[in-house]
Amino acid sequence: MSSRTETTVRPAARVNKARAVKRNLSGSWLGLILPVFIILLWEYASRSGWVAPHLLPSPTTVVNEMAALAQGGELLGHITITLYRVFAGFLAGAIAAVLLGAATGYVKVIHQLLDPMLQALRAIPSLAWVPLFVLWIGIGEASKITLVAVGVFFPVYLNLTSGIQGIDRKLIEVGRIYNFTSLQQIKKIILPAALPSFIVGLRSGLSLGWMFVVAAELLGASQGLGYLMVYGQNTSAPSLVIGSIILFAIFGKITDEILKRIQTKTLKWQDNLENAS
Amino acid sequence: MLAVHQVSRTFQNGKAGFENINLQLQRGEVVGVLGTSGCGKSTLLRVLSGLDPQFEGSIRTEAERPEEAFGMMFQEPRLMPWLTVLDNVTFGFSKKQKKSEALDLIETVGLQGFEKHYPKDLSGGMAQRAAIARSLLSQPDILLLDEPFSALDAFTKMQLQDLLLSIWEKRRTTTLLVTHDIDEALYLCDRIVIMRGQPGQIASEIFINRSKPRKRGDHRLAELKEEILKELDFTKP
Ligand SMILES: Nc1ncnc2c1ncn2[C@@H]1O[C@H](COP(=O)(O)OP(=O)(O)OP(=O)(O)O)[C@@H](O)[C@H]1O
Ligand SMILES: [Mg+2]
Repeated sequence: MSSRTETTVRPAARVNKARAVKRNLSGSWLGLILPVFIILLWEYASRSGWVAPHLLPSPTTVVNEMAALAQGGELLGHITITLYRVFAGFLAGAIAAVLLGAATGYVKVIHQLLDPMLQALRAIPSLAWVPLFVLWIGIGEASKITLVAVGVFFPVYLNLTSGIQGIDRKLIEVGRIYNFTSLQQIKKIILPAALPSFIVGLRSGLSLGWMFVVAAELLGASQGLGYLMVYGQNTSAPSLVIGSIILFAIFGKITDEILKRIQTKTLKWQDNLENAS
Repeated sequence: MLAVHQVSRTFQNGKAGFENINLQLQRGEVVGVLGTSGCGKSTLLRVLSGLDPQFEGSIRTEAERPEEAFGMMFQEPRLMPWLTVLDNVTFGFSKKQKKSEALDLIETVGLQGFEKHYPKDLSGGMAQRAAIARSLLSQPDILLLDEPFSALDAFTKMQLQDLLLSIWEKRRTTTLLVTHDIDEALYLCDRIVIMRGQPGQIASEIFINRSKPRKRGDHRLAELKEEILKELDFTKP
């Protein structure tokens, strides 16, 4: 799992020509063909009895059941609590990673002190923490948020420190010619130069955060989309499980898209394939 | 203005770098440094600018705070890739205060229209010109230039040499100019020091008593060029 933290995510193309927009649109239409076809096939398969409805209910059944759940206001509660856990965990993990990452990236002694331990901790598959956290903090909110934070922390930390260490010494020297103080050096050179890998870290951190919220909710929760899945499993209601999976996909995609937009916007100075016009 | 006394900085057990450099710069003087590749010219500028503190000897300036006396243009442009050309030129200063001055400089180096572009959009020569504009904006007491025009075509090079001349006319900035181009040194400098060897040492010093601006085809300069070429000849012991 920790190998996922190294995933590099690159900013998407900035499309500024009408033609490119058109090409992109027809491109995304092309991408829709297969999913639509599969959904239609799935609907047909369950209606005609090819697959047992108690294992794989039809898409319309899933949508109807989820809509019924939404009408009672119950679904919104599950969604809100899951989103809250992801955001709180993401924030806590990212902030901790920025503080520690900046300290180890910038101060050599702190790096020598902390980095070996953090690298070793990183070798532990993060889901292995789950039972421990449940034991330590109980089954309350704190344990779930901490677990998500742990998942978010490592990719952000690793990307940030490697970003800071990879900064071109030649640019730092420019700051020294200008007699920058440490603070100016950090603000004007180190932060902007490390920003690309930091955002890459945030994006992989977020995807891990989603994974961990599922784990936390599967193992000990009385609310949330993950709990809804367990509930669906225990009551033999596959439509609840499938509906929750789809909701996870939707929210995961939306939050990643937000970060991706931020990435594209702040990194348009990067000289890479995506930014070539 | 600047007094360099017996300064040495060597690498690889004394096989590279430079040693025993003595050099005095008067206020407003422009001194060229010519030398074969690898004789320690860039290293000398790094030591003078304070980037490399591991040297022997003494460096004195008239400035109150010696570390602020030097401005430097590196051999490479070293622009911040996340800043536009304008922000790069005003780097280290308040953009509001220096904006009009920066725009003037951008125009004089021929980059008008590129103020809002990022360095990735610039060619090598354009990036170098942006770096020249940046180093001129800071107005240091002593300007250190490391082959500022090496990446430019002959014509742009001449234009920018004339730009430097006109700026010196106005500001009288004391300058140490490292270059490979003998004609450039003869055209711009009051004095040329020639470095030779590994580690590099000052082999000779040539005064050019000609008022500026000079004619590029001046016969006296041609004679001096002959002399310098002889000095730089490796085959000579
Ligand atoms: N940090 C360093 N460690 C080891 N050797 C170095 C270091 N910096 C420079 N040198 C060596 O010192 C010598 C002089 O380098 P320098 O860059 O000053 O040459 P230069 O005169 O500027 O050459 P050029 O005209 O090609 O730019 C070279 O042989 C280089 O390998
Ligand atoms: Mg050099």
